Amino acid sequence: MTAGGRTAEAAGTRRAVPRAALLAGGLVLLAAVAVVSIGVGARSIPPAEVVRALLHFRGTDDHVIVRDVRAPRALLAVAVGAALAVAGALIQTLARNPLAEPGILGVTAGAGFAITLGSGVGLAAGQTGQLGCALAGSVLAALLVAAVGRRSPLRLVLTGVALTAVLNGVALGMRMMLPDVFDAYRFWSVGSLAAREQAPLALPLAAIGVSLAGALLLSRALNALALGENVAHALGAGVGRVRGAALVLITVLSGAATAVAGPILFVGLMVPHLVRKPAAGSVPWLILYSMVLGPVLLLIADMGSRVLLPTGEVPVAIVTAFLGGPMLIWAVRRHGAGAL
Amino acid sequence: MSLRRSSALVGAVALALTVTGCGSSDGDKADSGKGETRVFAADNGKIKIPADPKRVVATGYAVPAMIEAEAPLVGISSWKRGEPMMSKKDLATYKKLPKVAGEAASETNYEAVAEAKPDLIVIGVPAPVLGDIDVKRLESIAPVVAIGPTVPSAWRELSRKQADAAGSLKTFDAVKDKYEAKAAGLAKKYKKVLPGLKFGHVGAYGEVAKGTFQREFGRSWGTNIAEDVGATYYGKVKKPGPGSRAVSEYPSLEELPASLREADAITYSVNADGSVPPSVKYVMDSKLWKNLPAVKAKKTFPLRYTEAATYGQAMQTLDAIDTSFAPLLKR
Repeated sequence: MTAGGRTAEAAGTRRAVPRAALLAGGLVLLAAVAVVSIGVGARSIPPAEVVRALLHFRGTDDHVIVRDVRAPRALLAVAVGAALAVAGALIQTLARNPLAEPGILGVTAGAGFAITLGSGVGLAAGQTGQLGCALAGSVLAALLVAAVGRRSPLRLVLTGVALTAVLNGVALGMRMMLPDVFDAYRFWSVGSLAAREQAPLALPLAAIGVSLAGALLLSRALNALALGENVAHALGAGVGRVRGAALVLITVLSGAATAVAGPILFVGLMVPHLVRKPAAGSVPWLILYSMVLGPVLLLIADMGSRVLLPTGEVPVAIVTAFLGGPMLIWAVRRHGAGAL
Repeated sequence: MSLRRSSALVGAVALALTVTGCGSSDGDKADSGKGETRVFAADNGKIKIPADPKRVVATGYAVPAMIEAEAPLVGISSWKRGEPMMSKKDLATYKKLPKVAGEAASETNYEAVAEAKPDLIVIGVPAPVLGDIDVKRLESIAPVVAIGPTVPSAWRELSRKQADAAGSLKTFDAVKDKYEAKAAGLAKKYKKVLPGLKFGHVGAYGEVAKGTFQREFGRSWGTNIAEDVGATYYGKVKKPGPGSRAVSEYPSLEELPASLREADAITYSVNADGSVPPSVKYVMDSKLWKNLPAVKAKKTFPLRYTEAATYGQAMQTLDAIDTSFAPLLKR
């Protein structure tokens, strides 16, 4: 092991307790925000009734709202927030590009194209159809990008950008020609967590859960890859295998999240930057922190989406965009551009 | 710029103005100025129009009304939403007529309007949407009267006004009389069961992506024709807005119990083929819907053709209401 490596490890050991404490604090915050999120909504329900609905369900209207509408929505926010944030951490590590985000693999464009095409041929009617189309489109787009650009991070990013441009262009043309398709697409195109409680979420949520576990298992190998391919080779890491596995995880995480909630772009870019400093160069900690902060941010943004306007909900993707810009600027000012 | 280029540019501009109807040559206009005229009060002011128009262009809500009134149409906008409610004869007329505009007001093809050589243009779009149309440009082609929808139940007065502008009141009044006779017959048929019920209505324009549903009150799309039969829709909009917002609102699904708990019976909009639209299905699939007293009492009624905006179309709505309410007579 090099002197640099020993120093980083020593620093890691010294920081182990604070980092663990920070993670524990994050988990407590996540639990608190999730409970508050279940208490917020269009209908005013006393906190005690919210707790009763969770612990002693009696089937009243209030209990149904808590158990069948708000709790699934909070669970969805946790899953989507974690998926996007971890996918962002993985793609930034893999591409060694601080501006990379999951959409760069063409996932969002692929899902949007599939929704447009599916609406045109009648396959994307209803939530199940849209979910299926979005999932298929995002996976196919990511596979295409990975197949063409797997040999180098730069090639990967460029392929993703090119495919995104092509798919967006074709989809836009189809939407301009078919007004009904445009109508179906416009509701999906602004990411939201509202009204997903009746959608078949079990499969996407299970895929996200398994992929998050996979990301943690892969994180040590990614630690080596983050130092550069030559160093990773020298440390005995299977670069091709690690990169391939990371691409699969990014595809599943961002594809499943986009399929169930629509495009929510800023979380995957922003969260890894916010936790990079406390992670102190460790990819496993970066992923763990992202896994906690992503849901916290999305839950807060989702609560904001419900209460910001007296006239009704604002899609959560708009709130994350409003929050994301200032937070990213704050991170740059606080930690300097080097933090990126 | 050289003299030759300048001349070419002036020529091109002149040609473009002529082609798009901006030119003022008498030869481009129909002979509206030769016949008698009258002053007609429309949304865009008091307009001098031909007393007996011969070539009419209609857009938006004026399309089905004027086809039904057998107005002398030479061009119409596309009106796909009304197709399922048109009679075979009206649908054939609709398909045959040249389309001079798309579904949206902003898709008006001014060249096609000019090419139709109308002596009257009737625009049937809501007042706020009128801003999407270059009315001045249309006025350079023929007199323009804007007669757009306000509250949904106002289709009765609006369609009459549109038919009047086109000089087709005779046919209009005949269909209106048929409708009123049929509605009166149904009101008599359901006299013993409807007055005792407080109705609520779930419309088709809720947004599933936002988790909202459309609650319609009296005088709205889904309710106004059932009201002619004797149904009473209770409640009113919390914060009334312009147009249809005065008689319908879009609360969160969480507010479904508060909104419809008092209803003895609930009607809901379905598509022309009887299928349930996604926005209504979203409501009906929720456990909150199943908890409602009217749902538990099995007093829910699907209504087809709730978008009717002419007396002819509304006759079909009356038939649909009759079919849907029939079980009430057996209880």
